[in-house]
Amino acid sequence: MWVRGPSLLVFPLIVSAHTLGMGFLAGTSAGIDFRILGVAKRVPLTALEKFYPIMWAALVVNFISGTLLLIGYPWKAVTNPVFYVKLSCIALGVFLVVKIRRQVLNQPNLDDDKIRHRAKLLAWASLGCWAGAILAGRLLAYTYTWLEVGVRGGF
Amino acid sequence: MFEEPDLPAAWELFVRSTFLHQFVADQGQWLWPVLETLHYLGLSLLLGTIGMFDLRVLGMGKAIPPGTLHKLIPIGIAGFAVNALTGVTFFSGFPEQYFYNPSFWWKGTFMAIAGMNVAVFYLSSAFREVQAMPAGSDAPFRAKVIAATSLGAWIAVLICGRLLTFYRPPFFH
Repeated sequence: MWVRGPSLLVFPLIVSAHTLGMGFLAGTSAGIDFRILGVAKRVPLTALEKFYPIMWAALVVNFISGTLLLIGYPWKAVTNPVFYVKLSCIALGVFLVVKIRRQVLNQPNLDDDKIRHRAKLLAWASLGCWAGAILAGRLLAYTYTWLEVGVRGGF
Repeated sequence: MFEEPDLPAAWELFVRSTFLHQFVADQGQWLWPVLETLHYLGLSLLLGTIGMFDLRVLGMGKAIPPGTLHKLIPIGIAGFAVNALTGVTFFSGFPEQYFYNPSFWWKGTFMAIAGMNVAVFYLSSAFREVQAMPAGSDAPFRAKVIAATSLGAWIAVLICGRLLTFYRPPFFH
């Protein structure tokens, strides 16, 4: 119960860290996606790999802060189907981040129309996953039916 | 300043008389979560694109000429525009929840710092120097200070924004 703890310190810090991690993970990935989609065309694709550590650090921060939030209110999340939508979006989003590095950033044949088309598809899918994860994450605060065992929540 | 008066002040009555306040009041319970989601998407775009540019100036991904990465900045500005619109709507809906909230004023302070930093960057020669940097080059010290200030200020804006919930005055008293 340390998470819910002296509530004007620990809990706000955990959600702040979680939001910050979200911004850097989804934001950096989106920046790379926009480059693939044709914005800032002259940015060398291979060099974008150098921003991957930012995304991994953000993912670690959010995994830890997310786990703490889950420990704080386990029933709230696991009884809400939206939570599983969020987790699926994140899993797919992270999978695409890895796939984009392998198949787009390190792809020597990007002049090939077919490969380029596929790269753009991956970039759109990535943007969709992050938007879905953020939407689902925000809705978690509004859609839960049980705050804890026996305590109903939501609208 | 953060103490809410017993009766709404004149400015609050004005905000509550606006179309935007009525709009928030008239909508169902889903407007708020939708606006919040847009606000979060906007902040991600801002932090992602401006963050990448700042990090490049600070020395990450040196193979990228900063001038090419700067083309992503309009996406960050679009994110900021979304957040300004949704932010004004939040404020109009529940003005006293923000005005009598220390976190709101801290957020505003950091936004002002970020804004002045933007002005310094584009109005000084720092912008031209950075735009002229070739691949592999190291940014001048002044540009690095501006980039670090930008990164720090936006992170602070985000944290203060997230903390709004915890420092707001009690509802409906």
